[in-house]
Amino acid sequence: MGFVKVVKTKAYYSRYQVQFRRRREGKTDYQQRHRLITQDKNKYNSPKYRLVARITNTDVIAQVVYSKIVGDFVLCAAYAHELPRFGVKVGLTNYASCYATGLLLARRLLAKLKLADLYKGAEKVDGKVFLVKPVDDKPRPFKANLDVGLARTSTGAKVFAVLKGAVDGGIYVPHGETRFAGYNAESKKLNAETLRGYIFGKHVASYMTLLQTEDEDAYKKIFSQYIKNGVAPKDIETIYANAHKAIRANPAPAAKSTKSYKDIKSKNLSKRTLKQKKARVASIKASYKARL
Amino acid sequence: MPHSFGLRARTRYLFSRGFRNHGLLQTTTFLRTFRLGDYVDIKATGNVHKGMPHKFYHGRTGRVWNVTPRAVGVIINKRVGPRIIAKKIHVRTEHVKPSNSMAAHLKRIQENKKAVVEAKKAGKWVDVRRNPAAPKDGFFVNPRNTEFVEVKPVKYELLL
Repeated sequence: MGFVKVVKTKAYYSRYQVQFRRRREGKTDYQQRHRLITQDKNKYNSPKYRLVARITNTDVIAQVVYSKIVGDFVLCAAYAHELPRFGVKVGLTNYASCYATGLLLARRLLAKLKLADLYKGAEKVDGKVFLVKPVDDKPRPFKANLDVGLARTSTGAKVFAVLKGAVDGGIYVPHGETRFAGYNAESKKLNAETLRGYIFGKHVASYMTLLQTEDEDAYKKIFSQYIKNGVAPKDIETIYANAHKAIRANPAPAAKSTKSYKDIKSKNLSKRTLKQKKARVASIKASYKARL
Repeated sequence: MPHSFGLRARTRYLFSRGFRNHGLLQTTTFLRTFRLGDYVDIKATGNVHKGMPHKFYHGRTGRVWNVTPRAVGVIINKRVGPRIIAKKIHVRTEHVKPSNSMAAHLKRIQENKKAVVEAKKAGKWVDVRRNPAAPKDGFFVNPRNTEFVEVKPVKYELLL
């Protein structure tokens, strides 16, 4: 073939500029982060809080975080893996559990800041738009901005379930209604009944019912943990309603247990001597040859 | 050629970013806090076009006299003809960073404070003022222990 121009020359590599490390790792959107953490300079060192919502395959993480030059600090945290204590044993990453985690975070945070009695949030969950109002002559509601990280902010995304849970729990997070499940972009209206259904896991229940009639094998495979825990489609709404009640009754985290390291065997272990090492290698070789 | 006296004339290198420093600013820039009276250095950064200082103020040090949500007001002394004028400008915080011009002074304050406390504890007085280097003290010369060096002009030699 003819002349092929070398594009990536030595000069190219010596001038190449890499992105920030966490951007190279695909973990941080710095454009988003810089806007979320920049405080008005005339507020000096007042923290600017973020409601961090992260959803993994098996857990939902909800935290209230603020930033300093030395790093981020977590003011309060709640996780979906704590929901079994409130009665939700399966389905820890669905829309309903995201809502419950956000609610748990809000009640826990307000209890920590002694605002729980002042700001109860929306005690009746009806899926309607709710925003906490300040009480006269009393501290204002706790304010945080939603931080979705790298999650895609589609309508009905589960990060907005965490947001809805936190807002119904009494935290002031500025938001519109356009991203909740049940919002119709054409009519520009939020169907509160649909959103309420998602908050109580009705979409999961209807899918279970559908699979039970359509495909029993898929039902057994996909909902194996539900079957194991004896959860039927008609139970799901009750489970989440009871979880909300339990969360509002006592949102405190489980007491930390002090670990005991007395029985750990490793403290008595000592290094093998050279003879022991050689003997061990020889025995391994011998057993390997015996297997051939 | 028509003259070019625009606001950003002749700032191709002054405002440009350093090698491999293009793109986003580091996070520290957004988390700094400025208070009234702080000494700050002004360093215009080319990738933030809002709130840039005039090129004259690039590299200058001034004091903060105002803090607004996105910017700080800085007083900088500027020589105009025979006068020194205190100019007041507002600069976005991305173009401003805390100054080290007071670092040595603050360190000396701390050391002086410590020295005074210790002297008081010992019931003494310590002079913590700065003094220029004094002239050398006089001293007597012992001729027995001293090697004499005779100093006189070098004898003229004709080099032809």
